[in-house]
Amino acid sequence: MKYSVITAAATALIATAGLSSPALATGKMSCEAGPQSGWKTQDELKADLVKKGWTIKKSKIDGGCYEVYGTTPEGDRVEAYFHPVSLEKLLVSRRGEILFRKQ
Amino acid sequence: MVNFSLMAVVNFFLPRRHTGQATSCDNFILDHPARNIQDNGMKILRKLNSLPVFWILLSIPAILMVRGYLAGDIIAMDMLHPTGEFSARFMIVAMIITPLSVIFGNRQWIAWMMKRRRSFGLAAFGYGMLHLIFYIIDMEALEPILAEFWAPGIWTGWAALLVFVPLAVTSNNLSMRRLKQSWKHLQRLVYIAALLTLAHWLLIHDGVGGALAHFIPLLLLELLRVIIIYGRRNNGLTQRESL
Repeated sequence: MKYSVITAAATALIATAGLSSPALATGKMSCEAGPQSGWKTQDELKADLVKKGWTIKKSKIDGGCYEVYGTTPEGDRVEAYFHPVSLEKLLVSRRGEILFRKQ
Repeated sequence: MVNFSLMAVVNFFLPRRHTGQATSCDNFILDHPARNIQDNGMKILRKLNSLPVFWILLSIPAILMVRGYLAGDIIAMDMLHPTGEFSARFMIVAMIITPLSVIFGNRQWIAWMMKRRRSFGLAAFGYGMLHLIFYIIDMEALEPILAEFWAPGIWTGWAALLVFVPLAVTSNNLSMRRLKQSWKHLQRLVYIAALLTLAHWLLIHDGVGGALAHFIPLLLLELLRVIIIYGRRNNGLTQRESL
């Protein structure tokens, strides 16, 4: 009995906390980069990063930015956001911990 | 024929109950060919309804996922979500059987589920282990694993798996006999594992929809269970008071 009350209460609490923290949802970064016809390709970004010492697992578009999963030249396993036109590095995070954010 | 298939369906949900004896009223059809067909049909259905076949069913998602990975269709990173989701899913199924039995009482389908609760629990652990294996494959080395260990979305996952270990290790008849009453107390750690799993899922995944879709039904069933049990207890009290 006690267990279920505690569990129910705690689950409700966590669920509420989860719902009221939009930072966890995708939308960690957004880019105003105009039409996709003006964008550089993901392959160009990957080639550029590999040249700089990154290893790339996966890339996709999120919030109008390029999002890359991989390892930085420093050896950090991260997800990183890049501007699709300038290919500028915008945000690097490791499981939610921000390692770099463009000022 | 209709009668046969109906019987078959009914028997599919019945517990194993083969007497091997024929009642007097059965005798005259004992050697009838239709009787033999029916018997064979039931034997097959009983086999299909057995625990080993059920384990195969539970492992089908894993087989499909691993096949996709080995074929190169899915990278290790993308194996994390489906393996984790199935682990949580089976844990939740194992957990809702008791609330369902409180809500619906003694039903055949509840007995059927209850008989498979251990299978669901062990499947949850198995998928959790698969989740860990693909995490290690994806991370490639110990250093990056340690570097992110204390991220809230990561340590909660490790802790959930850690709690799962004693639950899985004691999921057998021998442990139940040896541990007696404390077996039940030990298995209640699953509530801690569930909270850690929920926290892990909410923190690590983009978007909370999937986690909530799985855990809100569990929460509601647990709440209903508590309400019903409190209700019964209070009813018992008022009856005693009125005596």
